Amino acid sequence: MDDPAFWHRLQFAFTITYHYLFPQLTMGLAPFLVLWRWRALRTGHEAYAQAARFWSRIFGITFVVGVVTGIPMEFQFGTNWSEFSKYAGGVIGQTLAMEGMFAFFMESAFVGAMVWGERRLGPRKHFVATALVALGSWLSAYFILTTNAFMQHPVGHRITENGTLVIADLGGYLLNPWAWVMFAHNQAAAVVTGAFVVAAVGAFYTLRLEHQGQARVYVEWGIAAGLISAVIVAFPTGDVQAKFVARYQEVSLAAMEGRFESGAMAPLHLIGQPNVKMRKLENAVALPGMLSFLAYGTFHSNVRGLEAFPEDQWPTNIELLYYSFHVMAGLGTLFIGLMALANLQRWRGRLLRTPLLLWALMLAFPFPFIANTAGWLTAELGRQPWLVYGLFRTSAGYADVVSQGDTLFTLIGFTGLYSAVGLLYLFLIGREVLHGPPNGHDEPPGPYPEMIHG
Amino acid sequence: MVEIWFAILSVTLAGYAVLDGSNIGSGVVQFLVARSPAERRLVVSAIGPLWTWHEVWLVASGGILFVAFPTVLAVALPGFYLAVFTLLWCMVGRGLSLELGGHLDDPLWRRFWEVVFSVVSVLTAILLGAALGNLVRGVPLGASGKFSMPFFTDFKTQGQVGILDWYTMSAGVFTLICVAAHGASYLVFKTAGAVHDRSASLARKLWFSAFLLLPLITAETFSVRPELFTGMMDRPLAWLALTTALAGSIAVVLGQRGGKELQALLGGGGFIVGLLGAAAASTFPVMLRSTIDPAYSLTAQRGAVGGAGLALALWWWPVAMTLSIAYFVAVFRQFNGKVRMAPPPSP
Repeated sequence: MDDPAFWHRLQFAFTITYHYLFPQLTMGLAPFLVLWRWRALRTGHEAYAQAARFWSRIFGITFVVGVVTGIPMEFQFGTNWSEFSKYAGGVIGQTLAMEGMFAFFMESAFVGAMVWGERRLGPRKHFVATALVALGSWLSAYFILTTNAFMQHPVGHRITENGTLVIADLGGYLLNPWAWVMFAHNQAAAVVTGAFVVAAVGAFYTLRLEHQGQARVYVEWGIAAGLISAVIVAFPTGDVQAKFVARYQEVSLAAMEGRFESGAMAPLHLIGQPNVKMRKLENAVALPGMLSFLAYGTFHSNVRGLEAFPEDQWPTNIELLYYSFHVMAGLGTLFIGLMALANLQRWRGRLLRTPLLLWALMLAFPFPFIANTAGWLTAELGRQPWLVYGLFRTSAGYADVVSQGDTLFTLIGFTGLYSAVGLLYLFLIGREVLHGPPNGHDEPPGPYPEMIHG
Repeated sequence: MVEIWFAILSVTLAGYAVLDGSNIGSGVVQFLVARSPAERRLVVSAIGPLWTWHEVWLVASGGILFVAFPTVLAVALPGFYLAVFTLLWCMVGRGLSLELGGHLDDPLWRRFWEVVFSVVSVLTAILLGAALGNLVRGVPLGASGKFSMPFFTDFKTQGQVGILDWYTMSAGVFTLICVAAHGASYLVFKTAGAVHDRSASLARKLWFSAFLLLPLITAETFSVRPELFTGMMDRPLAWLALTTALAGSIAVVLGQRGGKELQALLGGGGFIVGLLGAAAASTFPVMLRSTIDPAYSLTAQRGAVGGAGLALALWWWPVAMTLSIAYFVAVFRQFNGKVRMAPPPSP
């Protein structure tokens, strides 16, 4: 808290973490909506159209909260991180502007038509609208991840005489290898969230013996997509991401693993609590040699510990970084296990008659949100103490003209506002789920139900 | 190159003002033109599902500021810190009220969101107007090249100014009236029946007030920043903008008399674009004027990004803008025409 950047960091961390709870669900639901609409269009099966209709409503509410909590993010680059924007705006401005121009315009034009325009547009045009909203939301993620990838692994820039960054190679910047890996990893993780939520609602209806036809679609599609995406999150994307960290952010890897000393046969810690003051990991349970293998491909590779790096390059919150990484990796492993089991039972034709598994699926949906959040905490805490890795420190990036009182005031404001928004969101989603999938064309009220044009 | 990006930024902001102005204005006049809950649903329906597309013009302006003038963004946004967040919170409230207000068929729920929508619309209009006032009047930029402003200081327009003073407050009120008038014109165009008739009568009164107040706000502007007018003399674009504003105001009056609703709406938009354009053309190259010493003012050249950033962005920007307009046209055609109350569902 003595750090003058502390409240700025906390506010950005809070607002971005909260914001990302919503886009990860909309991006995760988007492929379901597109595929269901597509199948409904091709086969004429009403069940898929009904599923798409129900999840479009969930998507719509989630999208709104994502939009209203997302707009402050772009402006906080200026209000709270102005020195960083001045320094790196010549590079990251490109993608932040592209996100607005290419992705937001697309999403915002079609989302209303997608959620409320089925009858007005007819099935074909409506499918196009759905596909464009899905495309827009994934495109938006790519631009944001390119921006973040630059902060993790700067490429395509040039340093000017006055010390700021400008773009030198736009293609190289947009095709940053870090961005590709991060995009694949992150989008697969968003699909995990979508899949778990879809499966959870399906399990909920199955256990309550209601909406059985729809429930079956949700459970079966949810666990299929859940298994595929959870595997992709771990391998190849998570694996490659870890190897990138090992190559370009060696000190972060050491901190993520709570590794203080260097050496070969580096173990992968399953559990344990880092004690940074004493420079050791307590109560550690480890797989010998696994970290060496995962990071560099052989068990005998030397993985350098924190002691090998100057302390002013250590991530600033090693404990939280360690736990974030382990929560993410641990949950990711459990997700594969749960979804593999569910698919196995489904293959044997027993899933819908295994209450224990249905209960697990129903209650598991919050954990992908936690895993996604922990993953982002790992990326962002691992990047510390840098804002742009190796080039620009976080301590140099905040808006030094803004008083701490102002920052705390807006942080408190966000906390209050977002708490209310969260309650509102849960209330509305709970209503939709309890109401169930709409039957036929009997639509419950929405924002523009009374609209008759022409 | 800097001139082109300054023009793109000005056009995007003016586009935002006109497009979202119709939505904000509808919120401002909502309770004056719609007396029953059903009528107020009609107002929301008239705004329709494209309001997010309108709001994106503000996000796009932020993006353009970032890609072309990162230093201006980095100086202005922390300087206006509290006002920016107040505006952002208003936008949160507006998005929620428009999208979620209809989700429950419950009178209290709907009433609550109607009030939220109106209150944040009024606040947004005043804040945006005050922000414009600040850009015209200037900000306390000192030798450090940075500034930080509280909401108010001594309400004077020189030296260590605050966000609100007598000039920026009058700019806020003037903007509120213009936006309300524009919103009323929009509702005339998009609705039929009682809401339409009340909006038509209100639009006449509001535009009349706006035209009546224009000389006053012009005189105030002259007293706060005379060089804006001397600079205007040899700027053809400023004259073009003023002509647009004049033609727009004539179109409003004639459109209202002749019952030409679209003409009146577009005329009002032209009036707003014209005034903003004249201000932008006259102030160039100054983007942030210093109230301490003109030498500290931040110009477009000094605020612009170095290297090839501007040239590179000029390759992709027109593509994105064209696509965006195409989306809008495609969706707008589906929601064209007046909104009417649906007949009650047959039992």
